[in-house]
Amino acid sequence: MAMDSVDVCIIGSGAGGAPLALELGRAGFKVVILEKGAWYKQTDFVHDEIMNSRRNFFMPLPWDEPHLWRTEGQPYTRSNEAWTANCVGGGTVHMSGFFYRLKPIDFRMKTELGAPKGSNVVDWPITYKDLAPYYDKAEIELGVSGNAVPHPFLEPRKGNYPLPPLAEHPVAPEIDKAAKSLGWHTIPTARAIISQPYRGRDSCVYCALCGSYGCEHGAKSSTGASLIPAALATGKVELRAKCMAKEITVDAKGLAKSVVYIDADGVTQEQPARIIVASCTAVESARLLLNSKSTRFPNGLANDNGQVGKNLLFSSFGQSKATFSVSKRSKDLPWLTSPMPFVNRSLQDFYVMPDERFGFRKGGTLGFMWSHPNPIFAAVGLAKKGENGVFGKALKDKLRTYRDSRILEFEIYGEFLPTDTTYVGVDGTVKDKYGLPVAAITIKRHPLDFTMTKFLVERGEEVLQAMQPDRVDRVGTAGETTILQGGTCRFGKDPGTSVLDPDCRSHSVKNLYVVDGSFLPTSGGVPLTLTITANSFRVAEKMVASLKKG
Amino acid sequence: MTREDELNVQVPTDSSDDDVTRRVFVHHLTFLGGGVVLLGGCKDDPKPAPPPPVALTVSHKTFTDAEWATLVAAVDRMLPRDEDPGALDANVPEYIDRMLQSEALQQMRANFVPGVAALDRRAQRMFKVPFAQAKPEQQDELLTIFKNSPEKTGEARWYEMFVVLVLEGFLGDPSYGGNKGEVGWKLVGFSLVGRNVKGDPKAPYDGSQRLHDLTCGGGKGC
Repeated sequence: MAMDSVDVCIIGSGAGGAPLALELGRAGFKVVILEKGAWYKQTDFVHDEIMNSRRNFFMPLPWDEPHLWRTEGQPYTRSNEAWTANCVGGGTVHMSGFFYRLKPIDFRMKTELGAPKGSNVVDWPITYKDLAPYYDKAEIELGVSGNAVPHPFLEPRKGNYPLPPLAEHPVAPEIDKAAKSLGWHTIPTARAIISQPYRGRDSCVYCALCGSYGCEHGAKSSTGASLIPAALATGKVELRAKCMAKEITVDAKGLAKSVVYIDADGVTQEQPARIIVASCTAVESARLLLNSKSTRFPNGLANDNGQVGKNLLFSSFGQSKATFSVSKRSKDLPWLTSPMPFVNRSLQDFYVMPDERFGFRKGGTLGFMWSHPNPIFAAVGLAKKGENGVFGKALKDKLRTYRDSRILEFEIYGEFLPTDTTYVGVDGTVKDKYGLPVAAITIKRHPLDFTMTKFLVERGEEVLQAMQPDRVDRVGTAGETTILQGGTCRFGKDPGTSVLDPDCRSHSVKNLYVVDGSFLPTSGGVPLTLTITANSFRVAEKMVASLKKG
Repeated sequence: MTREDELNVQVPTDSSDDDVTRRVFVHHLTFLGGGVVLLGGCKDDPKPAPPPPVALTVSHKTFTDAEWATLVAAVDRMLPRDEDPGALDANVPEYIDRMLQSEALQQMRANFVPGVAALDRRAQRMFKVPFAQAKPEQQDELLTIFKNSPEKTGEARWYEMFVVLVLEGFLGDPSYGGNKGEVGWKLVGFSLVGRNVKGDPKAPYDGSQRLHDLTCGGGKGC
C-alpha cells in the first residue's frame, strides 16, 4: 500500500540530493530522501584499510550489484567500476574534497573552441554567471577551505573562501618554485575540509587518511557531515537509509507519481510525491529511469528521444609519481620529513590552449599530492604479478625501499569529450541482488582525450623533474576516473536533443528532476563535486519557487 | 574474460604502452585495492556452501591440516624473515584462515582453497614431496610457475589472490589477526594513524567484527 504523499521524494543523499533536501526543508516542504546505502555514524569511520578500501563498506560487491563494462566492440564484463560510495552522503563521504569551480569557458565550449569532430560537445543552457552565486552558497554551506589568489586562469568570484586554507606541507612552495621556473602558475587547491571549527563541526586534525576514507571528525565536508544534518534539523526532511529505488511510476497523465523501493527489511514500498528527484549518480540515475518503463514511456522514463544514458562522461585521468629517497635526500631537502598530509597545489596553465599547435584546445587541471598512504594498496602495486611479479626477499627489499621513499604525484582532471560511443544502458539479462537489471556501460573515448592527457602528464613530469627527484615514473596517460561522472541526462533548451530543461527538470515529465552529475553536457577540466552541489542549490531555488506557486 | 579479471590489471604500472592498450582503468581511490583479486567468480557461478557459523575468532577453520601446512610454507616464501620480521611473524596464515570465513568472501574462498591443494599436487609431481617439505628453492620454483602462468589461468589467478591475501594479512589492521605487533607497518614505515581516536576505549577495535556488523550482519537490510 502506498504511503502518504510528500512534497518531494529525492533518491540519493550525496552531492546532488542533499542541497535540494536542505533548501526544500528550509522552505517548509515535506521531503523524503531514499538512500540505498547505510547510514554510518561518524564513529563508524575508522582507519582500517581493509574495511574502507577493500571490502563492501562503501562499494557494493561485483557479484551482488555489478556494473557491466565493455570497450566498444568487446563483450561486457562484470565490474565494480563507476560506483561511488553507497551510503548516506554518497561519494562526498570518501572524496578527497578537491573543490574547484568550472570556468566560464566550460559553459560555452562549442562557441569558444568549437566541437571537435566526432564529439558531441555543446554549449550549456546556462552560463557561469548563472551558477556563480550558487558556487558561493555551496562553498559556504558545506564548508570549503582555500585561498583564491589572483592568477591568469582564476574564474570570476565574489570573494575568498569561507574558511582559510588548510596548513600545507612545506613541499608546496617547492612545487611553486619548480612551476615558476618553467613559466607556469601554481595555485592553492581549495578543499572541502574545514580548517577551523565551523557550524558546530570540528576542524581537520591532519590525519593523512582522508581520500577514500570517511572522516571520523566530521571535518570533511561530506553532505553527511554538513547538509544532511542541517536538512534533518528543519524537521521537514525524513531520510530512509538502505532503501533501494526500483522504479519511478507515472500516472495516467504521464506525470511522475511515486517511487517504488525495496526497504531495509526487503519489503517493497511505494512513496508518492508531488515531485520526484533522481540523484543516484549519472550511471545509476540513468539506470533507474531506463528501468522505469510504462505504457507512456516504453523505453524508460523521460526517454522519449532516446537520450537517457547517452553522452556518459567521466574525468580524463593521467598520473606520474616522483620518488625521493628520505635517507639520501633529506639533508638537502629538509621538507622531505615533514608529516603534513596536504600539498594542495594545482596547475591550470593548460586548461585551455590558445591554438591547435598541440592538437587540442581544451585541457584540464593537474593536482599535486602525496601518494596515498594505504600500505596494502602500495604493496600490492610493488609486488606486481606475472613475469614482473616479485616475492621473497626481492619483495621485502621493495617494501623497505618504499619505507625510505616519499612519493609526490600529480593526477589529471581532464576534459572527457562526449561521444556517441560512450554511454550507459541497462541489460535485462544481468540482474543485481534486488532482481533489477544492472547498468551496462560502453566506452570508446575520443582520441583527443588521450592527446590532451598525455600533454598534461608530460607538463606535470617537467614540474616533478624540476624538483630533482630520484626518479619519475609514469602511471598512465589514458585512464578515466569513474567516480567522477556525468552526462547521461543532459540539460538543454531543445527537448529533441536533451533530457532535462535548463532547470534540470525533465522535458517530458514535468514533475521529474535529476540533480546529480547527469545534467552535465560536458565534463570540464576539474572534479565536478562542487559543481553538482552548486547546481543542486540552483535547482532548489527554482523548485521552491514553483512549489510555492502551487 | 571477465571484468573481474580486468580489475586485476589496474595496479598502476609504469608501462609505456598504455596509449595503445588504453587499459589503465585507474580508480581515483583505492576501492578494493585498485588491483585486488577479491572478485572470484560471477554471480551466476554456483554458490559455495555457507561456512560453518563459527568464525572470526578461531584459527585454522578454512583449511585442512595438509592445506594449512602448504599455506604456511607458501606464505613464508612470500615474505620470509630476514633482518626484518616476515609474514609468519605477522601471523599471516591465521589472517587468511579467518578472513576466508567471512561471508562476503565465500566466492574467493571457493576459488582459493583448491589452489592451495593444487600447489601441493604440483610439488608432489615435480619433487615427490609435499610442498611444505620441499626445499625453499623448490618452493620458490613452484610459486614462480604459478606466478608466471598465462594471465587468466587458474594458477595465475590463484597467485594474485595469494599475494593480496598475504599483503592484507601483513599490512592490514592487527585486529583481523595478522600484522601481529604491527611488524608489517613497521617494515613499510606506515605511521600509526590507524586508529579512530574517538572510538570507545572500552570496546577495542575489532576489524573482523566491525566488517561483519557493518556490512553483513549489522542491522536492517543486510
